[in-house]
Amino acid sequence: MILELLAGNLIHGLLLGCVYGLSTMGLSLIFGVLKVINVGHGPFIMVGAFVTLAMVTIFGTAPPVAIPAALVVGMALGFAFFYTVMRRLIKAPEFTTLLVTFAIGILLQEVVKFTFGAEYRGYNWEVGKIILTITTIPMTKVYASIGSIIIALLLYLWFNKTRIGTAVRAVVEDSEGARVCGVNVDRIYALSFAIAIGLTVMSGVFLTMFIPVGINPYMGGVYTLKAFVIAVLGGLTSPYGAFFAGLIFGLIENGAYVLFAQIPGVAPFSLTVSLAFWMLFLLLLIKPTGLLGAK
Amino acid sequence: MALLRLENITKRFGGLVAVNDVSLEIEAGESIGIVGPNGSGKTTLYNVISGVYPPEQGRIFFEGKDITNLPAHRRAPMGIGRTFQIPRPFSSASVRENVAVGAMFGTLSGKVSVDECSEIAEHYIELVGLQAHKDKDSGTLTPVEKKLMEIARALAMKPKLLLMDEAMAGMHPRDIDDMVKFLKKIKEDEDITIVSMVEHIMRAVAGFAERVMVMYRGAKLIDAPTAKALSDPRVIDVYLGRPTGEGEDAEG
Amino acid sequence: MKINIAKYYPLIPVYAVYLTMFLVGFFVPGLWQLVALLAFYCALGQSWNIFMGMTGYVDFGYVTFIALGTYGMALGITYFSQFPGLGIAIIFIGLLLALFLSTLSAILEAGIALRLRGAYFAIACIGINEGLRHLIEGAKIWGGSEGMLYWKELTEVFGTETAIQLTTLWADIAVFIIAAMAAFINVYYMRSKIGYALTAIREDEDAAKVMGIDTTKYKTIAFLTSGWLGALVGAMAWGLKLTHVFPADVFVIHYTVECIVIVVLGGIGTLLGPLVGGLIYGLSKYWLAIILPGFQLLIFAPIIICIIIAFPEGVIGVVKRRVKGTRLERYII
Repeated sequence: MILELLAGNLIHGLLLGCVYGLSTMGLSLIFGVLKVINVGHGPFIMVGAFVTLAMVTIFGTAPPVAIPAALVVGMALGFAFFYTVMRRLIKAPEFTTLLVTFAIGILLQEVVKFTFGAEYRGYNWEVGKIILTITTIPMTKVYASIGSIIIALLLYLWFNKTRIGTAVRAVVEDSEGARVCGVNVDRIYALSFAIAIGLTVMSGVFLTMFIPVGINPYMGGVYTLKAFVIAVLGGLTSPYGAFFAGLIFGLIENGAYVLFAQIPGVAPFSLTVSLAFWMLFLLLLIKPTGLLGAK
Repeated sequence: MALLRLENITKRFGGLVAVNDVSLEIEAGESIGIVGPNGSGKTTLYNVISGVYPPEQGRIFFEGKDITNLPAHRRAPMGIGRTFQIPRPFSSASVRENVAVGAMFGTLSGKVSVDECSEIAEHYIELVGLQAHKDKDSGTLTPVEKKLMEIARALAMKPKLLLMDEAMAGMHPRDIDDMVKFLKKIKEDEDITIVSMVEHIMRAVAGFAERVMVMYRGAKLIDAPTAKALSDPRVIDVYLGRPTGEGEDAEG
Repeated sequence: MKINIAKYYPLIPVYAVYLTMFLVGFFVPGLWQLVALLAFYCALGQSWNIFMGMTGYVDFGYVTFIALGTYGMALGITYFSQFPGLGIAIIFIGLLLALFLSTLSAILEAGIALRLRGAYFAIACIGINEGLRHLIEGAKIWGGSEGMLYWKELTEVFGTETAIQLTTLWADIAVFIIAAMAAFINVYYMRSKIGYALTAIREDEDAAKVMGIDTTKYKTIAFLTSGWLGALVGAMAWGLKLTHVFPADVFVIHYTVECIVIVVLGGIGTLLGPLVGGLIYGLSKYWLAIILPGFQLLIFAPIIICIIIAFPEGVIGVVKRRVKGTRLERYII
């Protein structure tokens, strides 16, 4: 019984993990390139969710149509925030970047709140389901996962097969070295930030395809925190590391939930979230030097 | 008993052997120069001595005590002071505060009050000739002034052993001569053993050190009285890059 | 040992402001709540400044201390109200519990998180905060997500009259006292070995070690002090004043961000900064809530972004540069 439940949940976890992975790649990319933790990460995912909501409810399109729209919105936001704000904070002390990215997150939340209102919303998109003996999987979830994998692959190709992608990797490794080698580091900063935000907003679309309810301006916070755990799990500077860490996180989250639900008298959902953070903590404890790397 | 004794020190970074089986004994009161081209492992050796990282192999003894695994902050109060190749001032603090930090946490640690440290700081600031700048933020000093401030900071620690890392790089030859004189005087007045590390300002080494250890590619090439070491054909080869090295750049 | 009084001159303006605030709140009808709010922000800013301002480490999970302080007071009142005859002692037991709980979490964080730097430290602190919150909710510790309500216990011990006095007046006065303590500790640290060590750590931690500074020790001292003060503020301003605690209300990163905003506005690592920042932030928040209710955050967020980019050194940072070399210098740090 419990094994079946566990297996069923793990399938869901794996599918959700793909989306988690995609949603964290942007965070890792920004940290890798700019050495900035985007504390306002979650609100960008929220923006993606509202882009989807707007496309579905206002224009009546299918959710996947929102994917390119979200990318465009995200990259536009990315460039806008980069040139107005982030550009001035490249070598700034941590507290400024943390504060500013947090403030950007609040700004997004409030703007969305005043545009769409603060209530919980959702949408319906029925495209059939796969029925297995242990569980039933809506096709929307499958599409969301496949979509996430495709986007991650495209990013991989861009990183490894294009000149500009190579330049980005060079900046992640050593920005001064890259500058000496003739890379226009400032352009790379801007582009990477925009692409990272674009990815993040886009992942919001996939997340709503996975969970099409509970869309509200303040939904981002929990994803910021999950993304932190995933990003650290994946090594913090590596977008692919983040993607695979997302898979692991999805599995652990869904598996642990089933197990915690067996304990009487506890709130399994909260315990699962708690576990995620203790995992993060342990990870930082066991591998502080490895994660710190060469200073 | 030697003041500092290194026994077969080896330090690796990944596959790179930065310091390879180096042994060295320094007696109290000596002036030693450590010389070698860029990348020969000098700074790594300094870092191992001052405790920035432990060596993979070998042992370090200071005044007969094994300090191999002692953390850096325990070594300074024992009397190991140092300066850095690229000066590392505590930028937002004034020159006086920087130097006072040296007095506060060096061998006098726990024996002097904050106010007394300030007075000690004043003394050494004057000694290196920075009195006009003592209230400036140390981050605003020129590179040479920063070096002088670091020397004052290290001296305020009242060290028994002072490790100087490229203290004279970037200085005018006339200033180098002044510095050599200054170091000689300090050594007598303060009773400090000085190890001075230089890449290629032979003028500084020849004028100051009684003994020279030449390092090349992490290993000890020679350890001899200065005149003898600097005229050794192997040393000249290292610097001119003839048989031993393939195009090793001596410019640094 | 002779004590150099001149070192403590900078406390004069700080205490003058606190005294003025207190008198205005006490004698001008209707202003007590506002003054109490300002004192709360100033106290938090000053407490937070001790660690972050002096070391440069960004403790993004600082609210953990405030939250655990609140729980300490809640536990003190809830459980010790059963013992008759303890009377006012239960409040002090609550404070002790606040210190105890914050020490536990500080040890957890200091032992591990203080070995990490920069981004990793910030993330680890957030992790501990969220981990604790969800552990309390998930394992249903201390009432889980339903929290604790203890107004009834408070009235049973003290009677309604005194309970009202305690929650509406004495809790706020206590915050003033904590703020004054925090200011004193700030100056004491700045002018002692600890302050020198922390400055060195902020500027170049590796060089600091080689200079003989036991960085872990000094970071832990600052971290613990800062955490204890935060816990005391939480115990009084939330625990005693509100007589309830819910995990979802107290373990909220927003409060950490408020602390950072206050300190940065006023001037990071300065004594007067958190005070000035607390006043500016508290007053403008209060004022915006009156004239534009619901829009505060929308207006605040861009303003904060602009201020941080334009004046990263804060009000006192700028003032300090102006008064350098004048007679005012000794009063303003």
